Amino acid sequence: MALLAPPGPATAGYWNRKTETMPRQELAAWQWRKLQLALAHARANSPFWRERLPERLDSLEDYFARVPLLYKKDLIAAEETAPPYGTWPSLDPSFAIRHHQTSGTSGDPPVRTFDTQRDWTWGVDLWCTVLHGMGVRPGYTGLVAFGYGLFIGFWGMHYGLERMGCRVVPAGGLDSKARVRILVDLQVEVLGCTPSYAMRLIETAKEMGVDLARDANVKIIMAGGEPRPESTTQAISEAFGARVFNAAGTTEFGTVSMFECPSLNGGCHIIESGVIEEVLHPDTRQPVGYGEEGIRVTTGLGREGMQLFRHWTDDLVVKRPWSECGCGRTWDWFDGGILGRRDDMRKIRGVSVTPVMVEDVLRGFPEVNEFQVVLRTIRGLDTIVLRIEPDEIPGLDVADLGARVSTTMKQEVGIRPDVEFVTPGTLPRFELKAARFHDERR
Amino acid sequence: MTNADELSDKQERQLRDCYATLHELAETCGVPSVVAAARAAVAELHAALDGQALDFGFYSHKWSSEQPV
Repeated sequence: MALLAPPGPATAGYWNRKTETMPRQELAAWQWRKLQLALAHARANSPFWRERLPERLDSLEDYFARVPLLYKKDLIAAEETAPPYGTWPSLDPSFAIRHHQTSGTSGDPPVRTFDTQRDWTWGVDLWCTVLHGMGVRPGYTGLVAFGYGLFIGFWGMHYGLERMGCRVVPAGGLDSKARVRILVDLQVEVLGCTPSYAMRLIETAKEMGVDLARDANVKIIMAGGEPRPESTTQAISEAFGARVFNAAGTTEFGTVSMFECPSLNGGCHIIESGVIEEVLHPDTRQPVGYGEEGIRVTTGLGREGMQLFRHWTDDLVVKRPWSECGCGRTWDWFDGGILGRRDDMRKIRGVSVTPVMVEDVLRGFPEVNEFQVVLRTIRGLDTIVLRIEPDEIPGLDVADLGARVSTTMKQEVGIRPDVEFVTPGTLPRFELKAARFHDERR
Repeated sequence: MTNADELSDKQERQLRDCYATLHELAETCGVPSVVAAARAAVAELHAALDGQALDFGFYSHKWSSEQPV
């Protein structure tokens, strides 16, 4: 039985009304004030930043014009000068209380970061902004379903829930069945995981004969960490009977930097008191306007140990003005959150295809449990091969399913794929950062 | 009239006073447990001040034992 009123738009609110509803002009002045202090700290203490940051920047516009963009390769090169952190830090690592690093799955060396006590607390406080804004309140029970490893992922959510006065279930070492049992047994109200893993929990619950919407009590799902189509959000929401929210950040920034409020539908407010987000054209590197797709470039305004100025994230976003959201926050927002990564986009016979586009089609087929997208050159032609794991439905006509998937892909994405069916349970499931796209053409 | 979720002038003063007091304690006290508690509290209050857009020496907290890289 739920002890608290169901959260939702009526109960969601501001963690810091002052900074969340600050008039835009005042907000810009506050950002500039904080940026000046951050720049001075970086110049004084970090050899890496001392080389990159020009002196006497006199406005935000001047900052955007004169500070060079920071790419992942720059951070890796700085780290390699004196591993593990190199010349990047603005404080000695001996004052760190935590270490995190990227997974390195792209083949690059990992980016390593640390947090001082103040950095970590600041980052957790941003998570509180996110969770409070989604309707989480003291007294709720939360379960964060991830591996609690080197990747920063949902660590901040765990500590944010604690800081707000919620009961947190440490479910790191548990398998999906155990997590489903805990969701039911403890009547957990808040769940944190990736969209892919939420789908995995739904599948597991079904195998266990558990109806999550009926037997569990999840009200708020913080499904972040990877782009997803609206159809996936819808499927998760229906299966749990819960509101599904979005949020995102980066390891380099150190915490969450955007979140979906109840008034937005998949959009994410930028936490502009703690971050400056530019949106630049992928090729020209010039700013694009509201409503235009570009690359997110992040400047951090909070951390003292590992600072970030104009970080090229490679995330595709579309910025919208604050006034188009009715929640009262004066923070601009990204329509759909992070739409994808530029390096995930593939050209197939002249058509741009992203993992999210394919996922959006396949989520329209409840008979599809899991899938994998393989790009191959077949008889000299770039081809999408969809490897599909069908649900174990008695009498399911897989040939018919394959034909329907193929036709819909042609209609929605513009490419007719080859469809292969695989034995149920054989495709990998993901807890973090789903990797369903495999380009075998390279 | 102010909203219930906004600081009054008195509360703002209290917040600043707490920060200053705990900052000094963290800097000067020699009792390990008290220093740890005071530093943790300073970190918390830093987040509170920042959230309320209250200007203060953001990077002035470095304890005397801290050195530039």
